[in-house]
Amino acid sequence: MIEVSRRGFLSSTLVGGGALSLAVTVGCGSSSPTRVRHAEASGELVANMYITVMPDGRIALAVNKAEIGQGITTGFATLVAEELGVPIDHIDVHFADSHPEYRTSFGMHQTGGSTSTHEAFGSLRHAAAAAREMLVLAAAANWRVPVAELAVADGRVRHAASKREASFGELTRHAARAPVPDHPRLKPPSEFTTIGKVNRRIDARAKVDGTAQFGIDVTIPNLVHAVVIHGPVYGARARKVMADAARTRAGVIDIFAFRWGVAVVAEKYWQALAAANDVEVEWSQGQAAGLDSEKLRLAMRATTADGTTTRDDGHAPRVLGEARTKLEAIYEAPYLAHAPMEPQNCTVKVDGRKAEVWAPCQSPTVVQAFVANAIGGDSDQVIVHTTLSGGGFGRRVVADFATQAALIAKQVGRPVKLIWSRESDMTQASYRPQSMVRMQGGLSAEGQLAAMSAHCISQSITLSSGAILNAALPGPRALRGVVVDSLLAMFSTNSMGDLFATEGIKDTPYQIPNLRVDFTPVRTKLPVATWRSVGHSVNGFAVESFIDELAHAAGQDPLGFRHKLVAPGSRQRRVLDALAAQSKWGEPAPKGIGRGLARHQSFETEVGEVADVEIVDGRIKVRRVYCVVDCGIAVNPNIVRAQMEGAIIFGLSAALDQEITVAGGVVQQRNFDAFPPLRMFEAPEIVVQILDSDQPPTGVGEPGLPPIAAAVANAIFALTGTRLRRLPLQHAWDQRGEK
Amino acid sequence: MKLVVNGTSIDVEVPAETPLLWVLREEVGLTGTKFGCGRALCGACTVHVDGAPRRSCVTAVGDVAERPVTTIEGLASAPALHPVQEAWIAENVPQCGYCQSGQIMTAVALLRAKPAPTDTEIDDAMSANLCRCGTYPRIRRAIHRAARSLRGEHE
Repeated sequence: MIEVSRRGFLSSTLVGGGALSLAVTVGCGSSSPTRVRHAEASGELVANMYITVMPDGRIALAVNKAEIGQGITTGFATLVAEELGVPIDHIDVHFADSHPEYRTSFGMHQTGGSTSTHEAFGSLRHAAAAAREMLVLAAAANWRVPVAELAVADGRVRHAASKREASFGELTRHAARAPVPDHPRLKPPSEFTTIGKVNRRIDARAKVDGTAQFGIDVTIPNLVHAVVIHGPVYGARARKVMADAARTRAGVIDIFAFRWGVAVVAEKYWQALAAANDVEVEWSQGQAAGLDSEKLRLAMRATTADGTTTRDDGHAPRVLGEARTKLEAIYEAPYLAHAPMEPQNCTVKVDGRKAEVWAPCQSPTVVQAFVANAIGGDSDQVIVHTTLSGGGFGRRVVADFATQAALIAKQVGRPVKLIWSRESDMTQASYRPQSMVRMQGGLSAEGQLAAMSAHCISQSITLSSGAILNAALPGPRALRGVVVDSLLAMFSTNSMGDLFATEGIKDTPYQIPNLRVDFTPVRTKLPVATWRSVGHSVNGFAVESFIDELAHAAGQDPLGFRHKLVAPGSRQRRVLDALAAQSKWGEPAPKGIGRGLARHQSFETEVGEVADVEIVDGRIKVRRVYCVVDCGIAVNPNIVRAQMEGAIIFGLSAALDQEITVAGGVVQQRNFDAFPPLRMFEAPEIVVQILDSDQPPTGVGEPGLPPIAAAVANAIFALTGTRLRRLPLQHAWDQRGEK
Repeated sequence: MKLVVNGTSIDVEVPAETPLLWVLREEVGLTGTKFGCGRALCGACTVHVDGAPRRSCVTAVGDVAERPVTTIEGLASAPALHPVQEAWIAENVPQCGYCQSGQIMTAVALLRAKPAPTDTEIDDAMSANLCRCGTYPRIRRAIHRAARSLRGEHE
């Protein structure tokens, strides 16, 4: 958990006229007092960087996270409602504009790693409790009664003995004079009335009546619209642009080549779209020319050299050599695009070396850095307004779309909204890397797992994220470059392994006396990035498929085999026990149905899943998924269930059908017909159970995904005796028996 | 060219082949209808033309001149909601929310044709509307709930 120092978090000074101004100085290296407001003038109590109490008693809550569907605005409002003592519908949420104060995630203003609720459970509740105590102190002073005799509920402070009460709005001016408490009292879970009790979403109404404003809906004065024609191969540049007819079309402002392709700019987007159809381009070869995903796969399978070891317990190689029963298996996973429903888009207004940006983005900090770089300015001269995002899944941490929009805005001298086509979104993604894991396991004579090794081979996401690392580091750009370059050099030589490639294996909760995990990087010129659950998405499939294979080799029940491998009293055991009860594991599966089980811990959350699978006319059909999750305190249980359902369906799309293949450097899948997400008729029934917990919340957006592919593969084995080790599973099933 | 959108007549000056989606978004100013794929593969742009669902991203605006077009904004008069929208809220359907205008428009048309749809009929009507957040199980529940509500059965 990221702890924010109290005095760094809140400090106050009295200024002229006795009004209070609050200088908020949280975050990474910033100490500039930027949020100065005078409650006496406006009646607005800026309690801290998150919370402002308005004179009418409503609460303005600045959320420094992206709403990409995970329900974070509802979650944050819930935390504030609980500690401030207001009904959740008194809270008006807005997204915090980029500012160093809001860089609360590893020095970045960013949403990722399923960390937001975990992070806010301390800091945001503290902020709300501090604001509540300021309001209570104000009432106590007004009424000359002891603080201990006051109670807070429904946005009001009450003194029962004298029957006096005041709304928060009536107390803001006096509260502004109250000291900012260092150690406000936080409620213990036993006193929660909102956390864990609210089951609706505060953004549901706007998302069903068409009023929700996504990035693509932004409009500002004097705005023009742009399409970028991207080359067939990633990184290709336009050598020749033939656009004479297109230039004469109504509304067209400019058509020009730049390093990302060809920009077509018009007054209206539909004009740009029509003009783009009239543009012909001759392309250079492109940086990814020559990449062939099938050849890459074969090269990865041929890799035998040791990699960099990221975990080494006991003597895995020796024990594997001596094992009574030794298993070896290779698991493979393809490139994947994120394909969020809202294609990448960005609105930018450039003014010299300053810029203002409106974007559906997961990282305002990265957008600032990329836009600053594009226009030759500095990050702190770029203001980023985060909008709602139509899905994210890790894609919107990268901000290539913002670079392109900024370059175009600079070129045409007017504010620009760039909207990518679906084809650009799919072929210009920063992909989940194509990956391979070679697993080896050794069973003792008693059927115990004595040793296991995993060799992960994939393109390094860390290495592909140099520009993002650069954005994350404070300090002068030149210095950051040196630091990042030396960091990347270490990843480049693989002397540090990779931040993501072996996650979920190197930190496995399975108690295996001899365990070794290695990583060997693959190099290509196609960018890769975080994709929902990142390394866990591949490694959960590999480990949980392999554990299933080991259980069958040992002649043991897959659940019982896992049960023995995890510590007594652990959350893994609790989840397995609950999953067994929920799914009636051990009872015979209905005729024609295979049952498969997998569990995985990621982002500090443990999830177990059982899939009921059948095969109908050669098609893998997942009928039902049981899911048990231990994510600490569930701030909004309904949203936790929704995230499990969503991660399972997102994961099933990838497990069953989706892959990005590359031939001659050209990504072969360009739209949803070739990269099919699961559809309504294929969606299984999903039964989610959240385990009770009094522990702080852990990740929710991603951890439902890693077990599902293995659960399905294990079910197919139970049903047919055929072990599928390559994703997507439907392709593997169709090609079973072939080499 | 004259368009009739949500009961209001509007004159727009655009070439007849312009996709209805962008005319709605840029000329009429109704942004609740979303762009997802541009090829009628995802359903995010679904509107009603003459009461039937149409993919506005591949519908030439000239084809719908003077025919009634309904968008998500026109399902009910604010602040009222259509029973399908109310069911969506009751079942907590939306996650990112981007596809939901199209989902709701398709569902409204389904319930108009089939007041008590079976699961199979829901699958048949809804399977061309994609959702990357995976809200399908809740959409199914919300459609059943809305169907009960439209038939006058109370929860």
